[in-house]
Amino acid sequence: MTNAAAGTGRPLATGRRGAGGYGPMLGVLVLLAGWELAGQLLTEAFVLAAPSEVALYLVRDWQLMSRALGVTLGNAAAGFVIGNVAAVALAGVALLWPRSERVITGLALLVFCLPLVATGPILRVFFGPGPGPQIALAALAVYYTTLIPLLVGLRAAPDSWFDLVRSYGRGPMSALVHVRAMAALPYLFTGLQIAAPAAFLGAMVGEFTGAERGMGVLTVRAIRALDVEMTWGLATVATAVAILAYVGIGALARRVLLEAPPVILAAPAVATGRRLGGWIDTGLVILLALGGWAGAIWAFGLNPFFAKGPGDVLDALVFAPDAAATRATIGAALAESAVYLIPGYIAGLLAGAALAILLILVPAVASTAMPLAIALRSVPIVTTAPLIVLLLGRGAVGTIFLVAVMVFFPSFVACLQGLRQAPGQVMAVFDSYAAGPLARLVRVRIPAMLPAFFAAARMAVPASVLALTVAEWLATGSGIGSLMALSASLSDYDMLWSSVVLVSALSALGYVLVGAVERRVLAIYAPEQLA
Amino acid sequence: MRPNLTRRTLLGTGAAALGAGTLGLTARPASAQTAVSLQLSWLHSSQFAGSYIALDRGWWSEAGLDVSLLSGGPNAPVEPPVVSGAALVGISAADYTAAAVEQGAPFKILAVAMQKNPFVIASLPANPVNEPADLVGKRIGMALANTPVLQALCTLNGVDINEIEIIPTQYSAQPLLADEVDCLLCWETDLPVAMAMQGVESLTMLMADHGYAVHSQTYIATEDSLANRRAELVALMSGEVRGWDAYREDTDAAAALTLEMYPDAGLDLETQRLQAARQVPLMFSDLTDANGFGWWTDETVAANIETLALLGQTVTSDLWDRSILEEVHGA
Repeated sequence: MTNAAAGTGRPLATGRRGAGGYGPMLGVLVLLAGWELAGQLLTEAFVLAAPSEVALYLVRDWQLMSRALGVTLGNAAAGFVIGNVAAVALAGVALLWPRSERVITGLALLVFCLPLVATGPILRVFFGPGPGPQIALAALAVYYTTLIPLLVGLRAAPDSWFDLVRSYGRGPMSALVHVRAMAALPYLFTGLQIAAPAAFLGAMVGEFTGAERGMGVLTVRAIRALDVEMTWGLATVATAVAILAYVGIGALARRVLLEAPPVILAAPAVATGRRLGGWIDTGLVILLALGGWAGAIWAFGLNPFFAKGPGDVLDALVFAPDAAATRATIGAALAESAVYLIPGYIAGLLAGAALAILLILVPAVASTAMPLAIALRSVPIVTTAPLIVLLLGRGAVGTIFLVAVMVFFPSFVACLQGLRQAPGQVMAVFDSYAAGPLARLVRVRIPAMLPAFFAAARMAVPASVLALTVAEWLATGSGIGSLMALSASLSDYDMLWSSVVLVSALSALGYVLVGAVERRVLAIYAPEQLA
Repeated sequence: MRPNLTRRTLLGTGAAALGAGTLGLTARPASAQTAVSLQLSWLHSSQFAGSYIALDRGWWSEAGLDVSLLSGGPNAPVEPPVVSGAALVGISAADYTAAAVEQGAPFKILAVAMQKNPFVIASLPANPVNEPADLVGKRIGMALANTPVLQALCTLNGVDINEIEIIPTQYSAQPLLADEVDCLLCWETDLPVAMAMQGVESLTMLMADHGYAVHSQTYIATEDSLANRRAELVALMSGEVRGWDAYREDTDAAAALTLEMYPDAGLDLETQRLQAARQVPLMFSDLTDANGFGWWTDETVAANIETLALLGQTVTSDLWDRSILEEVHGA
């Protein structure tokens, strides 16, 4: 992270590391000073503890905190491994059997879109007491953000390399091992970096379903008790874990990825009968999702009081006497949420890309920006929401900001990696012309970033929905997130499942729309992605 | 002659004794204990300390029950585990139970831990809410989901809800202290306690004192359990009654036990003591003094039915089933 050029792997790049030696320390110091000042100024408001107070708290209660950290970290790590192994396995299947890719990603998307508010209690009934729901929610929080970059990476190789594999008479398996897997590694590491804080947050939110111990439990307790030191102590530890995981995975990536990214020359995709295939795949996804849903309820014998099947939802939304009222309630809540969702999504996405570009142009910013960016993502919404509300008010701005924060981080990480995928040979050409950083950015780096940017834009659709529903549920008390929480507490499971179906379907639709834009852009800049 | 006490023989007899001890310990309960779960409605705290006393003093294991107390949480509704049989009994409230029954859940209320509903309007002394009429012109911080509760209070007391500015907030006293709102809709036993622990004096207006009659912290079970698992229900509730009677004797000890049993819950002893003490007037009354813990009468049920109607819920007295409690109290 300290050196933006390190990704290109050129020896020249390492020379600049020494110059920035004090940079990281300085940036962190500036951050700490600003935080301390804000904490001292806001003492009366009970929203923020200064780092000095947090440090005192952590020294005093380190035993409690380390026990809680052990529990949550263990669950997050288990979920991280399970989720990422699942993502790699799914990507492997999609690659070896290309016909299945759209169905796999479609189903994976639908599962990723399921709101925590709804899945949490059902996972608890399913797993019983213990860490089951925590691990499951951590795994669910990561598998998708690994799968999507991985699928991009598996294709990010020049045609000529595949020609080489074929000229040796080898098949797709060899191409996978020798070419695709290698090409996918940078993308995989990016996925893992995005996954690390997500797994930790997933495990914490999983504890809301009735865990006895862990950092999520302590967070709920601290917020209710107005214990600002404990609240921010927890947030600090969560952030530190996320930063360590991010840096650790990044360091591993730099040890493994020694080659400069290749020039990817690929023939433009020829328009084929994809359109029809797309409709068939979509239909298949819907059929499999409905079948899996009904099948799971039947296979696990889930009680019909809270486990509603496709027929129940259809009935509640279309045929029941109060169907019109149900539709109106959900529609109003969705409209309320959309007002926040769309600006938050766009703002987060653009902010992520903008910061990534800034880091490439001015690498010295990294030491300040990186910890802040990771902190924003890994501090639980419940902790930051009161502070954001205090600073930005209870109106639209605060909520939009919360959504933007959740979208921002995956977008930023993916774009940064994309910008570093600028091909080494092309950069060498620019070197020989003594081209400035701006010219490199516009002509090489940004085009190289586009596949990663669009992958991030697609991932961000369900991520932003998730962020908004959680913010509405825990902080603002409005919109579809609040409606789902209310429905669960009033046992109105018809309303809850209907909301879940509509939210998932709309998320999927948003994803498809972004995908349509992506195809048009990538057809020009990265045709290998469309093959 | 004194037996030759060598290190080896000492170890040997020690191990044998230990072995016998463990065998004896495991053999006795395993033959008779029935495993049942009680689903709590929130995270572990002195809110449920009566149950902890029953568990700690072995009153359930004496009766052949191996009771698990399942923690609740912000995303842990009580009804699904009780419906699915994962928990024999759940801690709910009359309004939530009524809603679940309307959706087809076969629940009955077996006992009422909180005779008075714990909802209060909390305010600061400089700008107090002492009675419902004081709410006019105030900004109230609450979850929008609780609007029917406020509406019911207003209807009961002839206050126009449109004169009150509802501000949706997270469940915390922070918006009140930051002057974002003038008062909060919360529980007597949580946010006001948090403020007191931060050295902030607050006023609470108990909604139950102004006609809001909704039984809270109620014990619910399914009709199926009532028909087929009566002995376990009686044993479970019997332990609860003994536990809560002991709780009332010494709430400080109950708070200390809570911390001892759940050291990882992040609890503070002083907070738990205060919470345990403030809960007593809600749980015990002349009614329970005369009839025992958890009791209710036709009159209190009638008052509940009226308030629930204001909340938009139509229920009959069939929702309550006192047979288990009558067996426990030997009535």
